[in-house]
Amino acid sequence: MTSSDDSTQNDIETTRKELKQFPAPVLERYEVALEKLEGRLAEETCQQWALEGLEIARKTVRSWEAAAAFFDASVAVQRQLPSGQFLKWAKTGTSLCEDSPSLAVAYFTSSPKAMLRLRPRYIDDWANVCRALYRGTWKSSALACRLFEATPDLLETLSFEEFCHFGEFLEILSRRSYDQAGDALNAGIDLFPKITGDVDRFVNLAQIVAEKSWRDTAVLFDSATAALVELGATYRAPLISLARQLVITGVSDAAAILRDGANTVNRVPADNRDRLLEMTDGIAAVSAPSAPAFLKIVPDILERVTFDQMGQWQAEGVRTARESDEAAIRYFKLESPASQKMLDSLSSSIELSRVRDVIQMYCLALTGRTIDIQAAQQLAEKNIGWFQGELPTTEGTTIYMPSVINRYTTKEENFGFFKVISTHQIGHIEFGSFAFDFNTSSNLFDDLRSRLPGATELKAAKAADEAARKKVSVKPQVVVSGHEIPFDTQQAASGQDTEVQAPEFLTDMSRFFDLFQERRLALDVFTVLESSRIDGYVEELYPGVMRMYDMVRVAALESRPDVTDLPAQEALVEFMIRVSLGQVDDMLVPTVHKTAARKLRKLIRQISSVEARVEDAAEAAIRAYSILIDVKNEDLEDEDYEQLEPEEEEDNADEGEEDDVVDPEEVIQQFMGMSSPEGEGEGEPEKGDESGDQEFEGEGEEDYSSPQEVDYRGEFKPELSQLLSQMQMMENGEMSEGGEMEPITQEQLEEMMKNAPEMEMEQTEGEEGGDQQVSEMIENLMKELQKRDPENQQFQPGPSQHVDEDGGPLTATDPDTFTYPEWDFRANEYKANWCMVHEKIMADGEPDFFRETLAENSGLVAQIKRQFELVIPEMYHKQKRLEDGEEYDLDSVLEALIDLRIGVSPEEKLYWRRNKNERSVAVAFLLDLSASTAEAIDEAKKPSDDWGAPDDPVEYMVWLRSRRSEGLRRTYKRIVDVEKEGITLLVNSLETLGDMYGIYGFSGYGRENVEFYTIKDIDEKFSDMVPRRIDRIAPLHATRMGPAIRHTAAKLAEAEARSKFLFLISDGRPQDRGYSREGVEKEYAVHDTRQSLIEARDMGITPFCLTVDKAGHDYMKTMMEDFSYEVLSDISLLPKRLPQLYRNLTT
Amino acid sequence: MATEQKYGERNIEDYYVTDEPFYVPTSDEIEIFESAYRQRVPVLLKGPTGTGKTRFVEHMAWRLSEGLTARSPGAKAMNGAGEKLPLITVACHEDLTASDLIGRYLLDADGTRWIDGPLTRAVKAGGICYLDEIVEARKDTTVIIHPLTDHRRSLTIDKLGSTIDAAEGFLLVVSYNPGYQNALKDLKHSTRQRFVALEFDFPEEEREAQIIAHESGCDSDTAERLARLGLKIRNLREHGLEEGASTRMLIYAGRLIKEGVSQRRACQVSVTWGITDDPQVQRSIDEVVTSIFA
Repeated sequence: MTSSDDSTQNDIETTRKELKQFPAPVLERYEVALEKLEGRLAEETCQQWALEGLEIARKTVRSWEAAAAFFDASVAVQRQLPSGQFLKWAKTGTSLCEDSPSLAVAYFTSSPKAMLRLRPRYIDDWANVCRALYRGTWKSSALACRLFEATPDLLETLSFEEFCHFGEFLEILSRRSYDQAGDALNAGIDLFPKITGDVDRFVNLAQIVAEKSWRDTAVLFDSATAALVELGATYRAPLISLARQLVITGVSDAAAILRDGANTVNRVPADNRDRLLEMTDGIAAVSAPSAPAFLKIVPDILERVTFDQMGQWQAEGVRTARESDEAAIRYFKLESPASQKMLDSLSSSIELSRVRDVIQMYCLALTGRTIDIQAAQQLAEKNIGWFQGELPTTEGTTIYMPSVINRYTTKEENFGFFKVISTHQIGHIEFGSFAFDFNTSSNLFDDLRSRLPGATELKAAKAADEAARKKVSVKPQVVVSGHEIPFDTQQAASGQDTEVQAPEFLTDMSRFFDLFQERRLALDVFTVLESSRIDGYVEELYPGVMRMYDMVRVAALESRPDVTDLPAQEALVEFMIRVSLGQVDDMLVPTVHKTAARKLRKLIRQISSVEARVEDAAEAAIRAYSILIDVKNEDLEDEDYEQLEPEEEEDNADEGEEDDVVDPEEVIQQFMGMSSPEGEGEGEPEKGDESGDQEFEGEGEEDYSSPQEVDYRGEFKPELSQLLSQMQMMENGEMSEGGEMEPITQEQLEEMMKNAPEMEMEQTEGEEGGDQQVSEMIENLMKELQKRDPENQQFQPGPSQHVDEDGGPLTATDPDTFTYPEWDFRANEYKANWCMVHEKIMADGEPDFFRETLAENSGLVAQIKRQFELVIPEMYHKQKRLEDGEEYDLDSVLEALIDLRIGVSPEEKLYWRRNKNERSVAVAFLLDLSASTAEAIDEAKKPSDDWGAPDDPVEYMVWLRSRRSEGLRRTYKRIVDVEKEGITLLVNSLETLGDMYGIYGFSGYGRENVEFYTIKDIDEKFSDMVPRRIDRIAPLHATRMGPAIRHTAAKLAEAEARSKFLFLISDGRPQDRGYSREGVEKEYAVHDTRQSLIEARDMGITPFCLTVDKAGHDYMKTMMEDFSYEVLSDISLLPKRLPQLYRNLTT
Repeated sequence: MATEQKYGERNIEDYYVTDEPFYVPTSDEIEIFESAYRQRVPVLLKGPTGTGKTRFVEHMAWRLSEGLTARSPGAKAMNGAGEKLPLITVACHEDLTASDLIGRYLLDADGTRWIDGPLTRAVKAGGICYLDEIVEARKDTTVIIHPLTDHRRSLTIDKLGSTIDAAEGFLLVVSYNPGYQNALKDLKHSTRQRFVALEFDFPEEEREAQIIAHESGCDSDTAERLARLGLKIRNLREHGLEEGASTRMLIYAGRLIKEGVSQRRACQVSVTWGITDDPQVQRSIDEVVTSIFA
């Protein structure tokens, strides 16, 4: 016993002694652990434990750390394990230590916690799972350690089996990348507690992904986690299974499936979710690759159709899927025409984008002007004074409409609504709402406008008068909220000569509204009357739309507020609106104002006729205003309202004689007096601007607020619209007699914006914010105006200073460079070798653009092909009167016989032959690749402003880059894209025709660097390279047309063809840096281009220019005099127009 | 058994416009034409299809025949001889050659026989020769008309080796439709500068309504709406339409309406479908039609 005791003691002692060789912590921890374990373990066990520790410490140089960890963990672990298992645990650690002491450290350290969740019999397995990650490298060891450390956390949510699977997955992934495996491990720790129950499924998916395409696991863990968590437990399992199934069949992007799937499932109402997944399964069964596309598109589809309708759409897709995966993917991406067609037929809603072209042409037909159609949201985003994003409106050149109409159950009716809106809005343009002229007399009324004093005038006069009298300087102030105007009180006060000048107005509309004190009321009244006038015209001229129009009006009436809920003044305005919308019965009006109501009704009737002009609406507004201003805006009880009798029952006795509803003289008095005839505030001199309002308001009077808009009439902003459309007309040269308008200054605009009644509603909230908003708006408006009138460019940076006149002629030394002269129109001579053309072959891109363009435009492609095929028979022309040929020509033979009979020498050319080579055409397309082609096509009417290209090369590059980078993040279509489309369609058809053709692009930067890109040379055969090169067509630098035209002409001259054409496609005038001296660049450029075209013509080439620049007409006239050209009004027509032109030109 | 002749047949130089063709002048074209005729200056009529060029020539032929102005005191009959003025119309096409205009030899049993072409017959008869759509004809035809258009007023027939001086009443009138898009088919300057040119365009709305009402017999409200439709559709020229809706087209619509075809349908078949094959443009025009006609 003692011996054994001794030996035990010895062992422990020996161990202690041995352990002393190791760094101190080992022994320290041994002692601590020993003290606790001695009592709890059998001696033998304790001995073995100690020896085990010693063995660990001895294993390698570094294994003392493991030993320390072992002793450290022992106490806690021992509590969890029976002694047999305890030693086994220790042994496992020892064997781990053989592999790597670090592993053992991690094993021991994480053991105490892990043992809480781990069954003792799994200890070995656990160690093995973790050890499997270790492959002798530092990274693998770190990963394995990490898994040991993470085990306690993981086991909180995972069963051991799940843990093993996760370990397996990590092992597979770690073969590829330890980093990714590490990330996955971390993400897993985070994710698994949130998706308990589905962990195994997910890990299984992850494992398959890791095997198939390991890089995707990062995304899977990264982005899918959030989606899965959000998804909720019910649909997690099916979705993961679905993803798994798809990944197995070869779909790569599991993360996207989970993400889109989760998003979609959450967007679908709960009771449809099962069906949604069934649908997806259905698709996956026939075409796995298209299922993800479906999951992604569902939310978009559901915006247009109901869930059930989507079912039909899906079923059709499944049928398509049986044909080919390609087709199915396109179908479910909503890219194939069949898919869109199906969706269209299911949905009754109409999207503006789909009918835009039709409506645009409809508007063009009705007005004779190119009217742009845009989504209303875009105008609101411009922030130039319109605020509503969903109401239709116009600013004189563009009609803004809701982007989708889903009011009715049929497509016809929804389209009808679009038509009603457009007819009403263009009515404003067609019937001249914005052509208001203050001095033109009205048709139906006596003119009062010119006899009324302007409010601004009165105010200024009064202020000046007062200032003079009191000798007090009035502080200038900006009143944002009220109706009062901060008109130069200061100026009037400080200027001692009290002569008041008539204020100048930007528009006649502004001048008109200046007549009123209560501008908002005036605007509202004018709006109702003007809209009634337009409706009157529509009714008379376009009876065809009236059925729909009436439907819309009835609906509008139904959504009007109750008259009795409104205070008296507003109730009367509402009454006017109701009359104008065609309500006849049940007309409630305040009892005391029945007479006023009758008069107002009469005004509406008078104005709703084709006799009425906008000036009549203005006169009517003055009258209505003078009636309404007398009405107190007080709240009334319901019993204070009474039905107004229908018009037929109206007592017409005196109406016949009295034409005008008001007495003009009284109105003038009323306006002059600036006070309410009821006596309040009569003769009272105003003390200050703010108090003015209160004085008008008596007891119980409410602030006047504008009525609710009528949906189809939308937002009507006469002042702004008149301003904008005036600018537009000036640009188009339509305002010949009005003469030149002075450039508008920012101050003038501010003045107008502050006074305009249309603006007031926005300014009432917080003065600071209001001011901010106004100034932003003014800035935007200035920009908008500049777009419309390029002359009004005072905010633009000065023109280029660079002149390269000083340089000398250039010499082309490098291969593929060519020099050309340039025409100096002032000197009337050429500058020899002035420009250097660098010819390059366009780099190869992807062939996709070409293919996709053809696929997307399949209808057009077929149409163009057909057109071109019609040309082909012309190519097989029967050529008569030949000396030799296929057969005798009967006519010629007869003639010869006749000649013989009458004794004249007969013609010997008696044969005819089908001549195939009749058509001999060579054409070169020259594409303008200037930076301005990067503009979005909707912006295309903006005159290209890269005239302001900086001159300094460094700045120029910056400028260029900023222009280009715009292109990178674009989602819109650029001019150059349309050019590409056009060329693609044409090339495709040209191959049918067999003409020789070349495609070239040009751009450049300065005269030394005219870049000339060959996309297809004239004598080059069409090959796969051509579509690839077309793909790379992109906006580059400036536009120096002359040298490019000369170079192209030189190429054409070499081609052997009877007819030669040079087809120039450009988006604007020629321009480049340093094109001659400052001030004449534009002219110089135009003249040189013209000269180069003349040269081409002298070489027997017919030039034709197609431009999409709306400002094109003016300079084109000079540039293309005697040449054919066309200015496309709408760039999007280019792909369609180009082949037509080509055909017309060459046949 | 004699069969009743159901058709009219006459020699081309015996064609006189006897009933007044309805023509509403847009400006002073009648006076200009009369002056030109008095001075025997050839006339070129330019303008898009269906704007009344042919009708105008017929009207003038009638007018000059009737010698309406000649009845005013002191004036002689316009065509000099005081006789009726024949109108010889040739519609030009791309295979029309010079001998189609001048004439040719034909074989007959005994030998050959010379047949005058329409131009020769007009020159001999002293009538108005109207070459419709002259640009369509082959280039050689334009050369033979040159001597007829200047002081020589003669036609050379090389086959016969003779030159014919035009009879006193002869006048050459040509028409063409300036389509600026076709670079290959344009009238040569050497030709066009031999004529006084009258430009034809669509009449203004009110006048067009009057013409439609007269020609189709439809009521004035329908005529006004048709005229409005024409006006609106012409706004689409160069924006998808190559030519605007001709007055002729609108008249056809009016006739169908008079026959009881519904207004919208009549416009569809005679205007919308006739004017373009482009479905989108058709749709847009349809929308205009359904706005104007209930």
